[in-house]
Amino acid sequence: MVTVSHLCKTYPGGVQALKNISFEIHKGEFVVIVGLSGSGKSTLLRCINRLHDPTSGSISIDGREITGLKRKELRLMRSGIGMIFQHFNLIPRHSLLTNVLIGKLAYTPVWKGLTMRFTQEETEEALNNIRIVGLEGKETQRVDKLSGGQQQRVAIARALMQKPSLLLADEPVASLDPATSHSVMKYLEKVNKEMGVTIICNLHFLSLVRRYATRVIALKNGEIVFTGRPDEIDEYWFKTIYGEEAIDVTID
Amino acid sequence: MKQQKKNKAIQTIRAFLLDFALLSYILLIVYKLVWEKHILLLSEMPFEWTDLLTIFYLSLPITLIQFFIPGFSVGKVVYMAAIPRYKIYRIWIYSALILTIYTGFVISQFSAREFFSPSGLEGAGRIFRSLLNPDFSIFNEALFAAVETIYMAFMATVIAIPFAFVLSFAAAKNLMNGTPALRFTYHFLRAILNFSRSIEPLIWAVIFSVWVGIGPFAGMLALMLHSIASLAKLYSEQIEGISEGPIEAIRSTGASYIYVLWYGVVQQVLLPYLSFTIYRWDINLRMATVIGLVGGGGIGTMLMQYQGLAKWRQVGLIVLVIAAIVWLMDYASAKIRENIK
Repeated sequence: MVTVSHLCKTYPGGVQALKNISFEIHKGEFVVIVGLSGSGKSTLLRCINRLHDPTSGSISIDGREITGLKRKELRLMRSGIGMIFQHFNLIPRHSLLTNVLIGKLAYTPVWKGLTMRFTQEETEEALNNIRIVGLEGKETQRVDKLSGGQQQRVAIARALMQKPSLLLADEPVASLDPATSHSVMKYLEKVNKEMGVTIICNLHFLSLVRRYATRVIALKNGEIVFTGRPDEIDEYWFKTIYGEEAIDVTID
Repeated sequence: MKQQKKNKAIQTIRAFLLDFALLSYILLIVYKLVWEKHILLLSEMPFEWTDLLTIFYLSLPITLIQFFIPGFSVGKVVYMAAIPRYKIYRIWIYSALILTIYTGFVISQFSAREFFSPSGLEGAGRIFRSLLNPDFSIFNEALFAAVETIYMAFMATVIAIPFAFVLSFAAAKNLMNGTPALRFTYHFLRAILNFSRSIEPLIWAVIFSVWVGIGPFAGMLALMLHSIASLAKLYSEQIEGISEGPIEAIRSTGASYIYVLWYGVVQQVLLPYLSFTIYRWDINLRMATVIGLVGGGGIGTMLMQYQGLAKWRQVGLIVLVIAAIVWLMDYASAKIRENIK
């Protein structure tokens, strides 16, 4: 479904964030990318929906090359890919429902989108997605009044509005406590298993990786050092990915 | 290595120039105020540009000598990170400070004798007595003039908002760093905004009172111009401080640029904008009274008329009305700003 080959990304400052990355992701997978901070995980994710432009190499989604897409085509491509973030990135001071409907803006004409006039069907769809992430009854609450875990679930609902075939999750639980982390991860798992959305997710904790991933890609200094099943990451691979000093921290 | 040597040379020159400037300053004050005024007892001390030349001839050798004695040079401490054993260089700093304060007294013609002179005290007392006994017969007139001032300040703020709003996007660095053309626009706009802000509304009021005639309209235009520049700057700084997160999120949904601006940028800055704007109205009201003094209309103009006729009891009432509306506006704006968060 996603084919990345020989992808390189060099930032204007000269930092080589990604060096010759190639991998393939199949439909329905829950792929987790692990690696230390600064290993290039976030950059890789942002290259896939072109929030960052790759320096060289190619990325194709459903057989379509996306590295050369311009404006309208680019936005159309993005609208089919959901994304959630470490800091949730919701619009503060607005209601939960408004924040979820924002996921539909790509398909909404400007005069309607700016005044938040959505069709009955779209609102129904939003309410349904709020139900999926278990936040029914809170539709009119302001999102900044919600807890971190709930805010991330709103972000998932917003992404679901795009009817994505692929969902990118950039450290979705890094600012949450362990219990809430599992709750959010379970919703991602539900989206993956029940709705068949392919997920590419950056994670820090190996215990979460072992529990939720169907496949793991490990990055180190912008290069892939490991790909395989989560149970294949043993002591040796762990030290390779995280360095000799590292100790595996469990969260449950 | 070569680069280091070059750097060291530049720092040495800078250090020397700083010493030279500091010593010249000290010598100039000593020469003009201590030598000419207190020792030669000249009643007038006309300043000639040739004085400066004399000072330079004097200070150059002194600077040279002290520069090479350890502990004396201020410049070496500032530019070459020298840490001398004895901090003698401080005498230059202290003497410059003391001489500056002394010069301040001389130039502002500070005089306790004038302040406590009987005739002066008498006159001031008379005015104070009249001010404290305001003439309420012109209360209605003053109130109408105050209303004029309030609306003048209000209109200046309201008309400034759309201009400042549009300009603020183009004056925000984080939105304007895509291409060289955008960067140029940013710097150009910033320069214009800084320039128009640096000209006091008082000056604009004088210009506009000639342009459109004396009255509230001139005052309003002056305040508006200043408000546009100030608000645009405050607004754009707000935009520069927003978090990139929501912008990224809106972009990732595939929404077009106008949505990114509206939901990613504007929604983050709207409330701070409102708060700034109300505060600006508050400032404009105070300024409006001052601007009235130079022909901007409203209660300021009225104040100036009675003051010119030395009718102090009427002036007392006007001052009272101004104090009341400023206090009221201050209170209201603080309350409103407290409640929008």
